[in-house]
Amino acid sequence: MRHEANSIPVDNVELLKNYTFTEDDFQFQEKGEVLSDTVPEDPPVGFFKDAMIRFSKNKASMVSIFMLLFIIIMAIFGPMMGDFHFREQNVQWDRLPPRIPILENFGIFDGTSVVTVQVANMPNWESVYIETVRTFYQTAGARTVPMAEIRIDAYANVGAEDVYFWFGSDMLGRDLWTRLWRGARVSLTMAAIAVLINLTIGVVFGAVAAYYGKKTDMIMLYIMEVFNAVPTLIMVIIIATRLGTTMWSLIIALTFSGWIGMAQMMRAQFYRYKGQEYVMAARVMGASDKRLIFRYILPNAIGPTITQVAVAIPTFMMTEAFLSYLGLGIQAPEPSVGVLLSQGQEMLLTNPHAVFFPALVISILMLSFQMMSNGLRDAFDPTLRGH
Amino acid sequence: MLKYVLQRVLFMFIALFLVSLFTFFLINSVPGGPFENPAIRPEVRLAMERRFHLDQPLIVQFGHFLRSIVTFDFGISLIVQPSRDITDILTERFPITIVLNLLSNFIIVPLGFFLGSLAALKRNRIPDHAVSALVVVFISVPSFVLASLMQYFLAFRLGLFPMIFSTSQNWDWDRLHSMILPILALSFGGIAFITRFLRGELIETLNSDYMLLAKTKGLRTHQAVFRHALRNSLIPIMGMLVGIFVTILSGSVVVEEIFAIPGMGRIMINALLSHDYPLIMATTVMYTFIALVARLLIDLSYSIVDPRIVIGGGRSAARS
Repeated sequence: MRHEANSIPVDNVELLKNYTFTEDDFQFQEKGEVLSDTVPEDPPVGFFKDAMIRFSKNKASMVSIFMLLFIIIMAIFGPMMGDFHFREQNVQWDRLPPRIPILENFGIFDGTSVVTVQVANMPNWESVYIETVRTFYQTAGARTVPMAEIRIDAYANVGAEDVYFWFGSDMLGRDLWTRLWRGARVSLTMAAIAVLINLTIGVVFGAVAAYYGKKTDMIMLYIMEVFNAVPTLIMVIIIATRLGTTMWSLIIALTFSGWIGMAQMMRAQFYRYKGQEYVMAARVMGASDKRLIFRYILPNAIGPTITQVAVAIPTFMMTEAFLSYLGLGIQAPEPSVGVLLSQGQEMLLTNPHAVFFPALVISILMLSFQMMSNGLRDAFDPTLRGH
Repeated sequence: MLKYVLQRVLFMFIALFLVSLFTFFLINSVPGGPFENPAIRPEVRLAMERRFHLDQPLIVQFGHFLRSIVTFDFGISLIVQPSRDITDILTERFPITIVLNLLSNFIIVPLGFFLGSLAALKRNRIPDHAVSALVVVFISVPSFVLASLMQYFLAFRLGLFPMIFSTSQNWDWDRLHSMILPILALSFGGIAFITRFLRGELIETLNSDYMLLAKTKGLRTHQAVFRHALRNSLIPIMGMLVGIFVTILSGSVVVEEIFAIPGMGRIMINALLSHDYPLIMATTVMYTFIALVARLLIDLSYSIVDPRIVIGGGRSAARS
């Protein structure tokens, strides 16, 4: 019969130190009885399952997952929440500031904007006038004119008292809330596909190059260097003019040399691990190349790549913004976060909200991906297993 | 060593050849041509195409292009700056873009090192959070937005800098002064990149055994960090510098547009959009050549930074 140690806190070292053993804790043992550890009754935990368990225990990772989920859910359902369609134009309601129901009573997002007018003209604005921010004198030639910056109700000014553009409207009077989430959907899909393609090509390419080494490595390294030397911008513009500015052509443009970074990192990591004793031991035991690459080296080598993957998604969105600015972004009327940023830049000084909200979405993505990648790196670190 | 360098240079030219071959056939696969314009009469168009060998098979055209490279005579621009010698255009515009790029790198490296080590040494304290916030802003706000903001507030409102690039023809103070804002705008991305990388790298190094040894020897923290830890992070960062250099080369297109800088950016895009084949090929060759030379220089300087790295050594010495 096995001894039942119900009252002894075997799991807690601190409590165990202060625990006073009594006679009841000990038991007589029959001579000749075999004592051994029992086989654990829980099913064995695999590498990826263990990584997931450790990942879900990390608070920062869980917060980042929730933030990401929030953005993704908004990207799916956000466009349906507003009263507008993403390409619905109301030209008479252009460039309106944000106005959100409830929040407008607290002085933020209340749909007011500040305009500069001559004091003499102020009666013209009487119907929408709210308050005077400041008055000053402007000298124009020989005349000095009293001027005023007044806060007006921008919605009443264009006869849209009952309309709510939650994130404001753009220069064609389109609702930025709907467009932002619609754009986030497009951008996220695009970036995720591009990153997946890059990851697949990069990991396989880098792993094969480093694992087989010698001639194979040399040739593959040369191929990478040639791809790396191609001027990205020129290539992207050619691809965009050749295939048009659809989502898929942008993905091709973004992946053309995007996989190089991953492949280089993977190659360096493989060189680090492939000569180690445990790999040699596995080889002696008769493990096949495939098994060595995917079961023995890859789990150790994947850490830095995962960190890079997570940050790559917001970085792609920035590249896409850059292309939009050059007029090579996704085709109108479809929005993307990049298109919104570059359109917002045109009215940055009068309507900063048009840049603020898309930039905020990228920032949130950036932050949460960074936090998540830190968590993933720790979770996939085999030396931290079981902690 | 010499053999290795020669090998690399040879490879460089092969890569240059492959890239131009690839680009050449790709731009010719884009529908349209330089003279396909309703304003140009068909017979004029045919004559023009014959004049510039555009009516010949692609492979012959590529031969003409190769000859132009070898003789350093790129011919004339067809559309963007009609009839102007391409060598002329490049020598006028390339130096501006390159100087912008190099000066940005001179800002990126020290600032990136400073912010990165600050964040790592004050980990999870206020300086670290401030630096992280800055990095997120630099990465998630596009350079064209930051550039326009700086142009408005620093140049227009406060008048500290000129609004656009100086028209001065020489490299004098006027010109340098007007280059400060564009250089800053180009630097943000790189600073964020290096800062983030160095922070991660240093945090790992600070817990390593040799740092413990350095401290046990009695070195102060900053001595240990600067003499031991930072030096080990130099190698990967040098590799990244090539990437940053090339990224800025394309990134400067947008910034050049905002500050009206007569660099390569506009020329390159116009050439691509108007099918100005000789100009496209000349720019492609220039950009590829610069990227390859930068990579070679960085590779060669590894052994200076870290004497343990043997360049061109046998398999056993170079990789382990």
